[in-house]
Amino acid sequence: MKSPVKNAAGLTRCVGLLAVLGVVGLLPWLSHRDPALTVLRARSAEQEATEEALAAIRADLGLDAGPLSLLGRWSGHLLRGDFGTSWVSGHDVLPSVLAGLQVSLALMGAALGVAVLLAAALVAPVLVRGRGSAGAFAAMPAAVPEFLLAIVVLLVFGVWLGWLPTSGWESAEYLVLPALALGVPAGGLLGRLVADALPAVLEERWVELWRGAGVSRARIAGAALRRVLPPLVPQFGMVAVGLTGGAVAVETVFAVPGIGRTALGAARSQDLPLLQGSVLALLLLGLVAGALAAGVRHRLLGPALRDAGLTLPAARPVRAHPAVPVTLAAVLLLAIGWGLLRDPYTVDTTVRLAAPSWAHPLGTDGLGRDVLARLGHGAAATVGTAAGICLLSLLIALVLGFLPGIGAGAADIANALPPVIVGILVAAATGPGTGGAALAVALISWPALSAHAAALVQEVRASAFLTAQRAIGASPWWILTRHVLPSVAAPVARHALLRLPGIALALASLGFLGLGAQPPAPEWGLLLEESRAYVERAPWAALAPAVALALLAGLAVSGAALTQGRRVRRATSAPARKETPVGA
Amino acid sequence: MSDALLDVRDLVVRYGPATAVDGVSFSLAAGETLALNGPSGCGKSSTALAVLQLRRPSAGEVHFEGRELTSLTERELRPLRPRMQPVFQDPYGSLSPRHRIRDAVAEPLKVQGRWHPADGPARVCGLLDRVGLDPAYGDRLPHELSGGQCQRAGIARALAAGPRLLVLDEPVSSLDPSVRAGVLNLLADLQDDLGLGYLFICHDRTVVRHFADRVIEMRDGRVTSG
Repeated sequence: MKSPVKNAAGLTRCVGLLAVLGVVGLLPWLSHRDPALTVLRARSAEQEATEEALAAIRADLGLDAGPLSLLGRWSGHLLRGDFGTSWVSGHDVLPSVLAGLQVSLALMGAALGVAVLLAAALVAPVLVRGRGSAGAFAAMPAAVPEFLLAIVVLLVFGVWLGWLPTSGWESAEYLVLPALALGVPAGGLLGRLVADALPAVLEERWVELWRGAGVSRARIAGAALRRVLPPLVPQFGMVAVGLTGGAVAVETVFAVPGIGRTALGAARSQDLPLLQGSVLALLLLGLVAGALAAGVRHRLLGPALRDAGLTLPAARPVRAHPAVPVTLAAVLLLAIGWGLLRDPYTVDTTVRLAAPSWAHPLGTDGLGRDVLARLGHGAAATVGTAAGICLLSLLIALVLGFLPGIGAGAADIANALPPVIVGILVAAATGPGTGGAALAVALISWPALSAHAAALVQEVRASAFLTAQRAIGASPWWILTRHVLPSVAAPVARHALLRLPGIALALASLGFLGLGAQPPAPEWGLLLEESRAYVERAPWAALAPAVALALLAGLAVSGAALTQGRRVRRATSAPARKETPVGA
Repeated sequence: MSDALLDVRDLVVRYGPATAVDGVSFSLAAGETLALNGPSGCGKSSTALAVLQLRRPSAGEVHFEGRELTSLTERELRPLRPRMQPVFQDPYGSLSPRHRIRDAVAEPLKVQGRWHPADGPARVCGLLDRVGLDPAYGDRLPHELSGGQCQRAGIARALAAGPRLLVLDEPVSSLDPSVRAGVLNLLADLQDDLGLGYLFICHDRTVVRHFADRVIEMRDGRVTSG
């Protein structure tokens, strides 16, 4: 049973990777737009845009060829190390990609340093106290998206306190703020994973035994860490992959000339060769990170990996009090409801950048539009789209739940792709817009749900009551609709609902980068992006969407903590009922 | 042999390379209890599943009420399935945790299209009463019942299908000794009233001696006596 699933997963993994590469290679054909005029303007501004000149450029770029020959030529050139020439600048792509990669690697290295420091700070109290778990605060940094944190540290340390430079890439101090913005969410996630797993490990019997034998606390702490880390390493790999996605937003906010900003700029200017090169570099970074994680895990575990003998006891995540998500949701809903009653589009230049007042409770933006109204209407757009994506993911997950092999392999690929990179690819193919952003987020949000659905389907199929159903002569359709689907659909639907805030955040981050909803739509990410221009004069215009996004992040974390707690409770209470007959 | 309710010949069940049941033959008349006895892993339960065609045998024949089952397709088998009902070892696992007892017992009637809103609920109450369960328990979920009550509900569901043969796969092994006697007495009463044939799988010799008319001993997938 296990090996065919594994084989199918391996196959779909390869097919998925090839498909992603294929999409990258076919971008010029997929985008369906004629870049000849852009290229002509970029190359020689004074040349007349005659039909012959345009045709010559099309032939030169190979745009008149079919998709297959385009793909063949692109991969052929790639194998010889030729990444092509930029349509806009006319320079070779490879040097700009390498330069960007160098900057990004330095940034990611610094961010990893920040992440490790923060993770250590989160884990240390658990190790010192010996039990318990990191408080609810430890969960927060992991949930704040990089683009939001980038804006906040830029505001606080760069603008208000003026301690550090806010944009550029010249000396070491330019590295501090971007590394913080990129490293803190990653460190929060790393620290939380370890801190959640540690308490259960510290209650294992060997710890008691070692204590009794007089082993020092430091050695026990070291051994517990060594016990906890290997199974978590794959997740660490995913955190590293996430850094490549976060780098796009952070580099954009701080104007760091890294590979992420290069990719985004290329997507915005439709410079497809440069985009192909930089997306390939980002994918490569992600794959190398994943492979490194697998290698480290192998090194740490050795034979235990093959025997599958090493599993962690169930993690004990922070349990959020139900009041926390309920309060957060209530505050958000109140603000959204109030905002929905107001008009988000009326431009009134006499009240530009007005401070909060009774007429405009959250102030006005650069065009004199009411911020509260834009926040409310933006929520309807963002959360409404997110709800649609949730529903779509749920349907995909329920279908793929019955095909575990395909689901698992595709999930691996989707996990290796940060939403921002998918967003860049989709935006390059379809043009930026709400639909494209929704498609991008949908593409990567179903795997977690389908893994859950597959586990449930397996569990239900193995249960004796389904055998009893067959025995009374029930048809497969009857069993599927009356028994299997109801047991699977309800928990997976709850799971999908809990992912709604996270999906809305992903949409907002695409909107922030200009890959999602377009002005004047009041999308939250876009609101934050627009307010950056006058953040010093009207901080409230930036604060409102930032606070709303932070509330959403809090909702995502506390909601998830609620279900995790429930799942653990159920897992511990279940065995009490399974008594096997003695002497059987 | 023509009057046998169940006639099994040279039954073989393989799981991949392993052979769980290796050429088992027996027959069973209506109103008779035949016990399959043997240690754990000897192939008793595999035999039970193969007789019920819930796991298709690798070779051999299963004649039930004069029809050979192994050559039938799943679709041809479906209308015959209610005539032979299993009762499983785990009383909780054999009922859907999400469905009320009443719905679980009504389900065979609905599957077979014998459910009528007018008399259906009364029939379900009658069945619950027949197996010694207060019909008020019909509103409960399986986990709100004791193991013995759950097993009685499982038997009520099997009866609702209208069977001639019950395949009892360790029906009392997971129950308390005090509850066991009650369930075994219920099964004996039902057999007297309805003339059911019982294929009784059990590893406990004392239970087998009291309950069965005939005993077949199994070991390593083969019949050793009987």
